[in-house]
Amino acid sequence: MKVNLYPKKAYLFNTFLVAFIIHAAQAGVGIAGLPRIVFLTAKHDAWISVFFAGVLTAGVIYIILFMLNQYESADLYGIHYDIFGKYIGALLSLIYVLYLLSACFIIVMNYVEIVQAWVFPDLQTWVLSLILLLLGVYGVLGGIRVVVGICFMSVILTIWLAFMLSAPLGHLDVTHLLPIWETKTLDIIKGISKTALSIIGFELLLFVFPYIENKKRANFYAQMGNAYTTLLFTVVTLVSIGFFSEVSLTRTIWPVLSMFKIIQFPNLERFEFIAISFWMLIVLPNICIYLWAATKGIKRVFGKNQRRYIFIAASIIWGLCFFIRARYQMNMVTDWVGRISYGTAFIYPVLLAAIVLVKKKLFKGGKKNETSS
Amino acid sequence: MGENKSNRNLWVRQMFRKRRKNGETEKKAHSLDITELKEQLNKELNESPDLVFRVFHRDDKKYIIIFISNLVKTEIIDEFVLKPLLESKGNINTTEDILNILPLTQVNVTNQLMEIKEVLLKGSLYLYKEGEPFGIIGDVKKAEARSLGQAETESLVYGPKISFTEQLSTNLNVIRNNIVDANLVMEDITVGRRTKVNGKLVYISDIAEEENVNTLRQRINDLDVDHIQDSSVLAQYIEDNSWTVFPQLITTELPDRFCLALIKGKVGVLLDRSPAAIYGPTTFFSFFESTEDVYMRWNMGSFIRMLRLVAIFLSVLLTPAYVAVLTYHYEVIPSPLLVSLGQSRSNVPFPPIFEALLLEFIIEMLREAGARLPTKVGQTMGIVGGIVIGQASVEAGFTSNILIIIIAISALGSFTAPSYIMGSAIRIVRFPIIVLAGIWGGVGIMIGFCILLIHLLKLSTLGRPYLTPIYPFSFHDLRYSIFRLPLQYLGGRPETNEPTDKRRYPLKKAKTIKDVDE
Repeated sequence: MKVNLYPKKAYLFNTFLVAFIIHAAQAGVGIAGLPRIVFLTAKHDAWISVFFAGVLTAGVIYIILFMLNQYESADLYGIHYDIFGKYIGALLSLIYVLYLLSACFIIVMNYVEIVQAWVFPDLQTWVLSLILLLLGVYGVLGGIRVVVGICFMSVILTIWLAFMLSAPLGHLDVTHLLPIWETKTLDIIKGISKTALSIIGFELLLFVFPYIENKKRANFYAQMGNAYTTLLFTVVTLVSIGFFSEVSLTRTIWPVLSMFKIIQFPNLERFEFIAISFWMLIVLPNICIYLWAATKGIKRVFGKNQRRYIFIAASIIWGLCFFIRARYQMNMVTDWVGRISYGTAFIYPVLLAAIVLVKKKLFKGGKKNETSS
Repeated sequence: MGENKSNRNLWVRQMFRKRRKNGETEKKAHSLDITELKEQLNKELNESPDLVFRVFHRDDKKYIIIFISNLVKTEIIDEFVLKPLLESKGNINTTEDILNILPLTQVNVTNQLMEIKEVLLKGSLYLYKEGEPFGIIGDVKKAEARSLGQAETESLVYGPKISFTEQLSTNLNVIRNNIVDANLVMEDITVGRRTKVNGKLVYISDIAEEENVNTLRQRINDLDVDHIQDSSVLAQYIEDNSWTVFPQLITTELPDRFCLALIKGKVGVLLDRSPAAIYGPTTFFSFFESTEDVYMRWNMGSFIRMLRLVAIFLSVLLTPAYVAVLTYHYEVIPSPLLVSLGQSRSNVPFPPIFEALLLEFIIEMLREAGARLPTKVGQTMGIVGGIVIGQASVEAGFTSNILIIIIAISALGSFTAPSYIMGSAIRIVRFPIIVLAGIWGGVGIMIGFCILLIHLLKLSTLGRPYLTPIYPFSFHDLRYSIFRLPLQYLGGRPETNEPTDKRRYPLKKAKTIKDVDE
């Protein structure tokens, strides 16, 4: 296995698209339920938690790109190989692949759950998850160019949904937010950790990095993407806290969708039906890019054809769908993946960056010694 | 069973048989004796009854003129070949002497049997004096051609209306007249192993990108097929993905459109006997551009272009939306509207999906019937069919009024596409989405939409992305495809064609904004 990947020039994508990848990967099913989850711990200061989670993410993105820039054109799998050698590196890569697949799994399952709860209660889980995964497979088979294209188109085509938040804005009760920073700081920090599941997606930088055209400028655009996500999440949380009363927010599982209910056009009511259908376009890039990153990892470890791994990975995820039978199981799995993601997306890259730095220093020092002696 | 297998083997072997390249025809000089030459050619051309051998004597020497009577203008042979030969004074000794008295422009000297056979089939004559080592080929082709007429499939309200004809030389003449540029290159191409259809690869050498030219040239050269009926067939043979419903190369019959594309850096192909030119690389959005947008003022042009895109969008999504809403999400419709909808649907015994598919099918049938029938009958047919079926089907309780409106809008929308092939593609794409909407409602529509989106992202045209300038995003090119800005902003060429010569006029001259009162 090679540490650095040198893709053909045709597969490199324009650097500004990094912003779209980051945002498309971050915004997914999580945002629909985010305000409530954070509200449960951080109360009416939830938006502060969300905001600081975004700031924390910005820091982690900086560190990730710092680490990646130590190499010429490497991805996480290459770094694993470089630092830990063939076997331990492969093991770590496979663990990360498992995380990516499980993230893909809960994205699919959560969307299916939303559709079942709001639109089609009788729709079988395996049907919709199969369709979503097939869409994902179809996209990933097109390679990185198509996956990035899906991210870009998804952001472009769904950006109008953000403006739909202006409808509940008129019914806002600002006093719900006051007094600011009343919650214990510890609870706010706990709230930050609750945001993890919604804000992950930025770690995919670790995999798309070799395909970026101008790697030096990547940081700027990645930060832009994250800044937009942070802004959106914070505003959504703010509006939800202002819109719902304390009790109803704790009882509303998907506050964002519930807020869409009040939107009315002269010829259209119950906007949430349209929003939920449209949500598929927000979820699709998530599925595609996680599936792509995971199968890329399997290819990097075992070699051979990525095509085959895509089908295998998708069918494994689909098979797992049959094990989830009730809402509480889904909740548990989501919670678990949320906790794992806290480690894999936030802590692990930082640790790895430290190791890379140390190794580089040592290596350089060794070289210097050799030349001097 | 065994015979079957050997048959298949033979077929496979034929498929992969090494292609004989154009220049590699068998080398064999014909006999110097006229009677034997006759026999040889008769054998080669299967004793064709219209193969004419005109033998005559001059100065005791035997001459022969060979041609295929249906392909040549006999008056030319009489006037410019026979007459000078029989009436000229002086001695004729060698082939060169003959050449000197023949008033023909396109002549050639050869003795190769295969070559003679081929040119005879293309409308030349072969003149041979017995005993000479070489004979003369002269072009006396009689080509049946119609005169330049008005474009039929791509009609413009405003702007030039001339259309390509079936004859290559006429078309080339039109293009040469349109683009008076020494850098306009017309490369010879031949397609069809058996029929050898002539064609030209047309581009402007210092604008078109070399890679595009090479790709197109290579694809045509690599093509191994016995016969190409029309340029639209050639386009299907050489496009990137042949499974999709979307065309990836534009075929147009408008010379002005073709020339504008060349100026923008595209590469074109013209084929003899087909009235449409191909050009590429073409993106999805270029199928919704009409030259009329350029001839109109920029604001009208932009408006019409966006109108088209909206119309296409509605055409794809309106009927599915109706089906989805009425089957599953009737909560979406406000109650006053729902009442009228319910009333109009109260007599309809079918589920919405069946109703919609039925009506879409009828509309398609009407369109097809209108296209096949003679013009006069076709018009009556269209009106009568539309009104009778529309009116009667509502009254009979087959469909609702509102659906008729929706179907009409989506049919109209699909016809706004300037490219007929793209319009048909849009109409076909609608059917699966209607079915998906009938099964999963709004989610179904989105599934269809996502498939469509991924599919379009995957497509390429001559190896270049299909969905530019949206993805890969190019702000610079939006003004050439989705909008149509005022001319002072259109000084460049679309980046996606990667033109060598990037600007049509210098930027300095374009941006002279004067101060007030100066």
